[in-house]
Amino acid sequence: MFNHYLQSIEGVGIYPIFSLLVFFIFFVVMLIWMLKADKSHLKKMSELPLDKDEDSDNNYSKINSGKTKQEIMNNRNKFSTKLGLLLFFILAGSSFSTLSAQTTQPEGITQSYIELMLILVFGITLMAFALLFYFGMGEKKKEPEFHPFSFLTKIKDKMMGAVPVEQEDEILLEDDYDGIKELDNRVPPWFNLLFLITIIFAIYYLLDYHVFKTGKLQAQEYQEEMHAAAIQQAELMKTGAFVNENTVTRLMDDASLDAGKNIFKTNCVPCHGPDAGGVIGPNLTDDYWIHGGGIKNIFHTIKYGVPAKGMISWQTQLNPKQIQDVASYIMSLHGTKPANPKPPQGTLYVKPQDSASAN
Amino acid sequence: MELERFSYDNKIVKQFGIATIVWGVVGMLVGLLIASQLFYPALNFNLQYTTFGRIRPIHTNAVIFAFVGNAIFMGVYHSLQRLCKARMYSDLLSKIHFWGWQLIIVVAAVTLALGFTTSKEYAELEWPIDIAITLIWVAFGINMFGTIFKRREKHLYVAIWFYIATWVTVAILHIVNSIEIPVAFWKSYPVYAGVQDALVQWWYGHNAVAFFLTTPYLGLMYYYLPKAAKRPIYSYKLSIIHFWSLIFIYIWAGPHHLLYSALPDWAQSLGTAFSIMLIAPSWGGMINGLLTLRGAWDKVRQDPILKFMVVAVTAYGMATFEGPMLSLKNVNAIAHFTDWIIAHVHIGALGWNGFLTFGILYWLIPKLWKTELFSKKLANIHFWLGTLGIVFYASSMYWSGITQSLMWKQFTPLGTLQYPNFLETTLQIIPMYMIRATGGLLYLSGVLLMVYNLYKTAKQGTFEDNEAAEAPALVKVEDPFVKGKRHRWLEGKPIQFLLVSMVVVMIGGLVEFIPTFLVKSNIPTIASVHPYTPLELQGRDIYIREGCVGCHSQLIRPFRSETERYGEYSKAGEYVYDHPFLWGSKRTGPDLHREGGKYPNMWHYLHMENPSSMSPGSIMPAFPWLLTQNLDTTTTVAKISAMRSIGVPYPAGYEKYANQDLNAQADSIANDLMKAGVPAENNKEIIALIAYLQRLGTDIKVNKQQVQK
Repeated sequence: MFNHYLQSIEGVGIYPIFSLLVFFIFFVVMLIWMLKADKSHLKKMSELPLDKDEDSDNNYSKINSGKTKQEIMNNRNKFSTKLGLLLFFILAGSSFSTLSAQTTQPEGITQSYIELMLILVFGITLMAFALLFYFGMGEKKKEPEFHPFSFLTKIKDKMMGAVPVEQEDEILLEDDYDGIKELDNRVPPWFNLLFLITIIFAIYYLLDYHVFKTGKLQAQEYQEEMHAAAIQQAELMKTGAFVNENTVTRLMDDASLDAGKNIFKTNCVPCHGPDAGGVIGPNLTDDYWIHGGGIKNIFHTIKYGVPAKGMISWQTQLNPKQIQDVASYIMSLHGTKPANPKPPQGTLYVKPQDSASAN
Repeated sequence: MELERFSYDNKIVKQFGIATIVWGVVGMLVGLLIASQLFYPALNFNLQYTTFGRIRPIHTNAVIFAFVGNAIFMGVYHSLQRLCKARMYSDLLSKIHFWGWQLIIVVAAVTLALGFTTSKEYAELEWPIDIAITLIWVAFGINMFGTIFKRREKHLYVAIWFYIATWVTVAILHIVNSIEIPVAFWKSYPVYAGVQDALVQWWYGHNAVAFFLTTPYLGLMYYYLPKAAKRPIYSYKLSIIHFWSLIFIYIWAGPHHLLYSALPDWAQSLGTAFSIMLIAPSWGGMINGLLTLRGAWDKVRQDPILKFMVVAVTAYGMATFEGPMLSLKNVNAIAHFTDWIIAHVHIGALGWNGFLTFGILYWLIPKLWKTELFSKKLANIHFWLGTLGIVFYASSMYWSGITQSLMWKQFTPLGTLQYPNFLETTLQIIPMYMIRATGGLLYLSGVLLMVYNLYKTAKQGTFEDNEAAEAPALVKVEDPFVKGKRHRWLEGKPIQFLLVSMVVVMIGGLVEFIPTFLVKSNIPTIASVHPYTPLELQGRDIYIREGCVGCHSQLIRPFRSETERYGEYSKAGEYVYDHPFLWGSKRTGPDLHREGGKYPNMWHYLHMENPSSMSPGSIMPAFPWLLTQNLDTTTTVAKISAMRSIGVPYPAGYEKYANQDLNAQADSIANDLMKAGVPAENNKEIIALIAYLQRLGTDIKVNKQQVQK
């Protein structure tokens, strides 16, 4: 199923919507974290002394000097409120316009799906806006040790299982390999989890395809794909959407003849010459046809080719309309005078008198 | 505790280091040339020695075996001595190793340009060179193990585990994949055919990545990164877990190169399943590397060496996640045969291998010459140029790969192909090829800065061929083999370590090979498939010589978009006489498996003479020499005999009239061409190639068009 899905261009719009959503949520979360993060913690990290006495110009305490903590908080709150408003409009506007562009997708994405996405994006934006307001307004009486999303840090620490750098000496192994030493940190729990998940996936995968046979192997996938296509073709046949050698009519309109001319120039010139006078293949402008003249015969010859004689079958490269166009164009060249015409080959073609014939 | 005095051989390290740099520049220049040929075909120079097909393997072999290879040896020779606290076992073997390897590289470059190739990727070199590689590899092994045996450090550090695994696995891979029967001094046929050859080749190919591009570099990382950062390795336990799981699991992943192919389904599934399980073991290396930098991240900001190493390890992590993702069937259905794979390769190659090499060079050269790096600023500029180069390279190839793949797959609402003309899909991505070449140029210019920087560094320093050292003699203390200390016991026993590694890496190969070779139902026979005629065989060898397999695949996958475009999808039984298989890895041009009978002989004649005459705008180089060079029929007898000896059922004594049949078939093609107005001579190479192309895919005579009508 998934294979067919990816194989069609239609419906691939879900991916940009999904990635927009992911980026959007991520951005909003990061923004909130950044604005709410404990400033003193950030200050401490950025002032960590570098090795030896390298750049000593990283002295952040010089910045903001002269202002009280409270003033800094107030400025920040005003700033973050304005920033929040600005961002709201930018993000809302861009997400709305992106999603409305998606509404032109006729298949694969239903209208309700797009509406759901719109609601989600707006909902998240509103929530972000609300959070920014809440945290951004008013004064803080005290400076609490407030780490937003600190539960994430706790989870991270648990999943890493690492001994803090400061306590490394406790787990330093005794071996010294040319000055290289090793720590005895445990294998990170998240690593074990990842490994376990992939092993479970692998077992499931093999069971699915080869034991329970619930997964489709390639031959079956192919059969189903061809079956679905055959059904689609049958439907189209019923509606008469196809032109074939029995139903084809000669086209006379400029658009079709121009299209036919372009097809001729791209595909037919090497063998039939730039003006259809014939080079390796025969002259197409005279009254003599090796495989029959008239639109139906010419269509047939182009479509199936004459492999024994060197005329390629074009049906895998040109769709029926295109063959109809170029066949019509060739017929329009009848009677023209090519520069170096090959002598006539084949038999004289006489138009059948039958009024039911296409031309 | 008596202190023994000895000296480290630094000269050999210097020699390998210089070779690394020289071949790196050469290999990347060739890469730039072939990248440019794709949007400016005139750079094929209309010479048979410089066509894309012939020189692409020079690029791959140069960057893998000459650049990365010499870097591995440089790092191993430098680090092993110091981790063992012993001089290399034999200076003579060191010299043989060095000069032998460089000679192999030169001979490889010349023979590949001359068209002497097996066509099997990263194993293109013909059998005399294969033998030379084996001999040199053995010399390297003796030297390495000899050093380990005379070590003064009882336990083997993790880097050495990786060196041991590398050595033994590369030996096994090389020997098994190179089993071929010679027909001439520079020509051989693999004993494997078709599906089996594909399996062996990609068991080899993927594990060349694993055990030549990954494990030795992990070993180098474990030495040079903690050295450069002056930090301890994050977790000894993790290094044990990820080492053993990596060398075990990696081997099985080969079939992920053959998804949706004629390889049996169960083998394909094993490839996918094990590739997914490979994520954690690979990331173990990345984690241990990056976390070793805990407490030293401030240094990374200042130090270009650490910058290179951090990006290298990160690129390793990215590539070893992307690889498993590409091993999933549905992703592979889009990515296979496209530039996406090229992007994936180069993130690993430019990011992991290239950058780690540069980091090591920038650290090692000043140390060896007992001086400071000439210019930290230039090294930083190199870092940014290289990083930018990788980004340009990868993003353009992602774009072009996905674009081309989706174009191949797209149907019109009426159910015909949207882009039935293959050339249209190639022309669409030409701008991406230009961007990729720009990326490569940026990367190379960074390397040239490095060459200058290191040269000036060496000039301002003093080099000592032998570095005095001293260490206490090894005290033989037996480790207890107890729970919790079993691995430590093994670390003191190099032979057991070697044997256990060898057994571990062999398991995957055996499980995948034995059924594929012994269980007949894995390759269902097709009664109508018969061996190539002598003329077709000669033509096939010309196809191999000109490197056609570098741009054209011969493997139609079971997708409607492919069967619409090319014909019935490829069956395993069709390839039973293909020594070697020619499935190909990339479609710069269309698949050719059902080319037979699609175009008249005359079309092929004119197309090979000048592709643009039949396909206006084509980027395929011209092959006019095929029309003038005489076909060498003196090799026919040897080829038929050789083929029969590896299982192709030519009748006994057929050699006697093989050339008669060849001439008769050649005459018939030549006459047909002359009737069509083409001045063909029946003894030219083009006749043989046309015979081969016209044979392709016709055995089963089930052509989609015929079926429909």
